[in-house]
Amino acid sequence: MALQEVCGFNKLSYLYPEWNISASAFVYLEETLFSFHNRKNTDFGGFFTGSNGSPLELYVPVAEYLKESPLQFGQASPDVTPQPTAKPEYCSLPTLPFPTDIPLSASSSIPLPFQLSHGTTTLAFQFQGGVIAAADTRSSCSGLVACPSSQKILPIHSHLVGTTSGTSADCFLWKRILARELRLYQLRHRRRLSTGGAAKLLAHMLHPFKGTELCVAATLCGWDVGDNEETESTISAHTIEKNEEETIERNESLEMVCQKSTQPAPVGNLQQNMSGPRLFYVCSDGTRLQGELFSVGSGSPYAYSILDRDICWEMSVDEAVALAREAVYRATHRDAYSGNNVDLYHITAMGWKRREREELKEEYYREKEREREKVAERRRKMEKADGSKCVK
Amino acid sequence: MALLDVCGISDWLKEDGFNAKAASVDKVNHFSFAARTPEFAVPVGVDPAKFLKPLTDNEDGVNGVKLELEHGTTTLAFKFQHGVMVAVDSRASAGSYISSQTCKKVIEINPYLLGTMSGSAADCMYWERVLAKECRIYKLRNKERISVSAASKLLANMMVGYRGMGLSMGSMICGWDKKGPGLYYVDDNAVRLSANMFSTGSGNCYAYGVMDSGYRYDLSVPEAYDLAQRAVFHATHRDAYSGGTVNIYHMQEKGWIKVSHENVEELYHRFAAEKK
Repeated sequence: MALQEVCGFNKLSYLYPEWNISASAFVYLEETLFSFHNRKNTDFGGFFTGSNGSPLELYVPVAEYLKESPLQFGQASPDVTPQPTAKPEYCSLPTLPFPTDIPLSASSSIPLPFQLSHGTTTLAFQFQGGVIAAADTRSSCSGLVACPSSQKILPIHSHLVGTTSGTSADCFLWKRILARELRLYQLRHRRRLSTGGAAKLLAHMLHPFKGTELCVAATLCGWDVGDNEETESTISAHTIEKNEEETIERNESLEMVCQKSTQPAPVGNLQQNMSGPRLFYVCSDGTRLQGELFSVGSGSPYAYSILDRDICWEMSVDEAVALAREAVYRATHRDAYSGNNVDLYHITAMGWKRREREELKEEYYREKEREREKVAERRRKMEKADGSKCVK
Repeated sequence: MALLDVCGISDWLKEDGFNAKAASVDKVNHFSFAARTPEFAVPVGVDPAKFLKPLTDNEDGVNGVKLELEHGTTTLAFKFQHGVMVAVDSRASAGSYISSQTCKKVIEINPYLLGTMSGSAADCMYWERVLAKECRIYKLRNKERISVSAASKLLANMMVGYRGMGLSMGSMICGWDKKGPGLYYVDDNAVRLSANMFSTGSGNCYAYGVMDSGYRYDLSVPEAYDLAQRAVFHATHRDAYSGGTVNIYHMQEKGWIKVSHENVEELYHRFAAEKK
């Protein structure tokens, strides 16, 4: 299966016959680990290094590493002896029911300095013109607005965009890992992985961290290109034009679009019916749901009611954009952890298109202005009616 | 002050809220609010606030038992140029069990005062009936109606005496008095706020989205009915603890009228048909 190959399951199944998935669940954190201390590679020898061909090699830090961790706050003194019942912390596997030769959980849990809240409003919905993804731009840090102009919608490739909610660091990292894996898949199999496949991949990558403090709640919005759809050659032309002015992190995505002039490899029956807009919600606790409307974050209830009220499949693009903006605006009006600006992405068969970032302060003043006009008009109408009555 | 005398609070305000010696004797089992020597009805021999605090505050509660006093409902009210609109759902839940889909969450205190209920049904019903009694007594004593502000203050003062002891009530007192339409929110923490628009309960966030988006002070009456209905409907659609029927009341100058009660299912089909 394609997914297993990507994750390198088959190579590692000899080690863990009972649970294939576990083997792929180590995060490879070379830069972060090496920068903290100058241990040699051999110190990691006790770990599962696996086969270097597997793209998802993940390393669990040594127990001793955690004693030297730079995290000074609220740190419990970590034990060296691995305790099977200790609560796992970042980057360590949860306890698994099979004999291990790897120190699984290194220490008793290190409490976080403050409660990480999922302060955001992101939403995404499908309609006849594609998928709209919208989000606010406030990054909060337990009462402080750490960044009023952060980017919560990250493009993964030309036809897939992911909204992020939860811990921004986790979301950013996992989006990049997902983008890398999707690109590798595409290079190997000469076709793009569907949104559902990407969601499944992300869910499986996040699964080993279930129970840890990792927090990612993402909605993947994409357009799947089926066999019968327009070939990539036309798509590539359009996306290059549209994406020129956008800042694209990875140049490979442009290259990928350029190179796609060949017909996609023949695919199974499943792909025939699965083209068009797709929306998936993936959460780090393992949830993976397909739907037509999702909203995530502390401001999501406020947005949900607006969306429920006005959403319908036959909306025009302008109506859909206006609805998404209004929903985010209402959520930011009531929720303290959402605010500042609105980011809007529209995904069609041609790829994603990003709208200009809009300041919500302007929206507020515009709304006040509209209200004033409505009141004035109502008053004029009443006066006219009264006037006509008096004349009679 | 007249109000303090009515409440009889000034006598015991200097003392502590809980008197262990006094509580060790079994006293009357109701709150005699305006009597000269008011007594609190509390369980004998135990300090309710101290007993409840570890159960509600800590992460794990006591031995894994944690009490979550949530207000599972959706109620909303807003002031506009023609009075006050009040809309509530009608679902009563006990944990995850729906005990009633036809529960009355608006109590008609008198023809010009309404109180909504969210939180523990028992607490709300009891205390708002006590409030109704006090409002009636006020009218008999002073030969004029009690103002909305005073009525809400009475309720808030009832709550403050039992603060921390596990009451759960989120109520909005709506009425029309000499100053015009009045709307106050009173909480089991004795929070008392006045504003143009409130929504309480677990579905309040959903209702706020729709209400904010359509609210103007100069709404016409049919527009206001529609807005109130839509807001509660959308909350019942998304919130598990709200549902049943949407009951709407309109507080006018001459008193309140009950506008409608519509089943949420019918509303769903009506709104869906409108969209097409």
